[in-house]
Amino acid sequence: MLVGGCDVGSATGKAVVMRDGEIVSYEIIPSTTKPEVTARMVMDKAVEKAGLSSIADLQYIVGTGYGRLKVPFANENISEITCHARGAQWLLPTVRTAVDIGGQDCKVMSLGANGKVLEFVMNDRCAAGTGRFFEAMARVLDCGLQGLSELSLQGKNPATISSQCSVFAESEVVTLVNEGMELADIVAGLHASIASRLNSMVRKVGLVEDVVLTGGCAKNDGLVKALEEKLGVTVKKLPLDPQIAGAIGAALIAAEKVSKQTMKSPA
Amino acid sequence: METPIKSKVFEQFNEATKTLLNPVLQDWKKQGGKIIGYFCSTVPEELITAAGLTSFRMRATGSTSTEMSDAFFSSINCSFPRHCFNLALTGEFKFLDGVVCVNSCDHVRRIYDNWKRFVPDTQFIEVMSLPRKTDPPQIAWYRDEINLLREKLEKHFGVKISDKTLWKAIKLHNETRRLQKKLYELRKKDKPPITGSETLAVMVAGTAMPKAQYNDMLRELLDELKGVEGPGDHRARLMLVGGILDDPAYVKVIEDQGGLVVTDSLCFGTRIMWVEVNENIKDPAEALARYYVAERPSCPRFYGEHDNRSNYVINMCREFKCDGIIGERLMFCDSWLVEHYMLGQDLKAAGIPMLKLDREYITGGVGQLRTRAQAFLETIGR
Repeated sequence: MLVGGCDVGSATGKAVVMRDGEIVSYEIIPSTTKPEVTARMVMDKAVEKAGLSSIADLQYIVGTGYGRLKVPFANENISEITCHARGAQWLLPTVRTAVDIGGQDCKVMSLGANGKVLEFVMNDRCAAGTGRFFEAMARVLDCGLQGLSELSLQGKNPATISSQCSVFAESEVVTLVNEGMELADIVAGLHASIASRLNSMVRKVGLVEDVVLTGGCAKNDGLVKALEEKLGVTVKKLPLDPQIAGAIGAALIAAEKVSKQTMKSPA
Repeated sequence: METPIKSKVFEQFNEATKTLLNPVLQDWKKQGGKIIGYFCSTVPEELITAAGLTSFRMRATGSTSTEMSDAFFSSINCSFPRHCFNLALTGEFKFLDGVVCVNSCDHVRRIYDNWKRFVPDTQFIEVMSLPRKTDPPQIAWYRDEINLLREKLEKHFGVKISDKTLWKAIKLHNETRRLQKKLYELRKKDKPPITGSETLAVMVAGTAMPKAQYNDMLRELLDELKGVEGPGDHRARLMLVGGILDDPAYVKVIEDQGGLVVTDSLCFGTRIMWVEVNENIKDPAEALARYYVAERPSCPRFYGEHDNRSNYVINMCREFKCDGIIGERLMFCDSWLVEHYMLGQDLKAAGIPMLKLDREYITGGVGQLRTRAQAFLETIGR
C-alpha cells in the first residue's frame, strides 16, 4: 500500500511517501507564494525519489499545514496539530508532549499513548518563537541560521532580552551590539527568551515526559539546549528529520484511511 | 453545513445584526420613537422600555478601524470599546437619544468619561455603578442605582415610570426570555432546525428593536420552525462560553468546520434569558436589582461566583448533549482569561474537552480560527 503526506507550511513544503508503514522517501523545499504549486513540486520530487512514475501511484494522500486546503491531489485535509502529534508519536512512541516550531507559528500538544492529541495551545499571532523570529535575528546579526545555533551554544552569560516581539527584540539586539556585548551572549539570550515563551505554553497543557521538538527549528541545537534549561527536563531527539513530522503524520493517517476502506469493501 | 432556514422573519433578524440602525429601528424613529444605547447586559433594559424608549445594546458592527479612538485608548485595550468609541467619534451613533454606560470592566468604563467630553451632541449620558459582589448589601446598592437612573430618565424624557409601568415592562421582557428559551429548546434535538450562528443573529436582533415587536417576530419564527429538522450533518455538538460575541460570522467559521453550536453561556445568549426576573416581589426595582446582581447567570466580573458559573456551564453542556466547549474571549480581557483557565480545570475534571480562543472584536484571522476549530474537532475524535 502506497500513501502520501503533504505538509504545505509557510516557509517550506514537505512530502512523505510511505509503503506498508515504512517511509520510502521524503522531500523538503522552500514554499512558493502559491500553495498548490509548492504542494505539486514537493510531492512530485518525493514520488520521483521513491522511484514511482506519478502521484497517481499513491492510493491516498492527506494534506496538512497552512496550505492544506490548496493541495490539489489530496483526498482530504487534516489540521497540522493532529498530524504533527501523530508523526511525533510514530517517530518516538514514548512522546507525551510535542513542541512544534514552524515558520510562522508554534504549538504545543499533549498526547495520549495512542498519539491522539489531548490538548493543544498555539501561537500564530506574532512571530515570537517561530522560524521567522530566528530568520530576522540571523539577518540582524549577519550570522545565518546555522551560525545562530552555534553562537548560542557558546554563550556564557546570556543577555537578558526582555522583549519577545521580533521587532522589539531586534531593537534590543541592536542596542546590545552597540554596547559591545559578546555576540554569543546576545544570541544565547535570544534563545533563552524564546525558550521562556515556549515554557509557558508547555505549562498551559502540562509538562509530561517525553518531550520532543518538531518542525524546522528543532534542528537548532541552541534552542533545544535553552528549552531543556527552562523546562528542567531532557528534550528527546527524534530518529529522523524533525521537520517532516507533520508530513509523516499525514501519511500515517492516509494509510489508516486506506486500511479502513479495504476492511469495508468486500474482498 | 447549509443554512436550513428560509424565512422572511429570520432575514429581518439577520439584517439587524449586520447594521446598527436596522429597518425596524428606522421605522421606530420615523414614528417619533427614541432609542437609548446601553453597554453591557447588566443595564436593566426594562427601565428603558418602561420609559417608552427602545433599548439598543451597543456594538460596533461594520467598524473597520480604531484610528480615531486609539488616541484615547491604547493597543492593549480591548478592541470592543475601541471600535465602539471610534464609531461614536465618526458620528455613527447619532441615531441614539442617549447612552447608558456601566463599569462592567475598566475598558468599557472609560468610554463613559471620553464620550461625555468628546461626543457632546449626546444629550443624555449616564453611568451605572454595578457592584462586584452578589450579597444583599450589593443588591440594595444596585436597587438605588436603578432608582437613580429611573429618576434621570423621567426627568430628561419627561415621562413617569410608575411601579405599574415598570412591572409591565418586566413582564414583556420576561416574555422575550421565555420565547428565546423555546428557541434554544429546539436545539436539543439530534437535528436542530437552527444553527448556532443563526441563533446568535436572533439573539442579537433582540437587543436592537422594541421588545413587543421582537416578541411577535420571534413567535412567528418559532411557528415556522415547528417540526422542522435540520440537516444533522454536523461532526460534533458544541457549546460556546465567553464574553461579548455579537458576530454570527465568527460562529459560522466554527460551524463550517462541522462543529454545530447548540448552546452557550454568552451575554448575547443564555445568560440574558435562561433565568427570568422574579415577578413575585413587591418592589420592581428590588426585583430588577436581585435579578441583575444575583439571580441571572453571572459573568466573571462578579466575585466569588466562579463555582456557580462552572456548574452552570457543565449542566448546560450535559443538558444539550455537547461533545465539547469552546471558550472565547476578547484579547486583553483579564476577567475571561482567568475564568477560562479555571473553567478548563473544572471541565477536565468533568471529562469535557475545551478549546480556548482569543479573538479581536472584529472577526479576522479566519485561517487561524479554522485551524484551531478543525484541530479541536479532530482532538475530540469527531
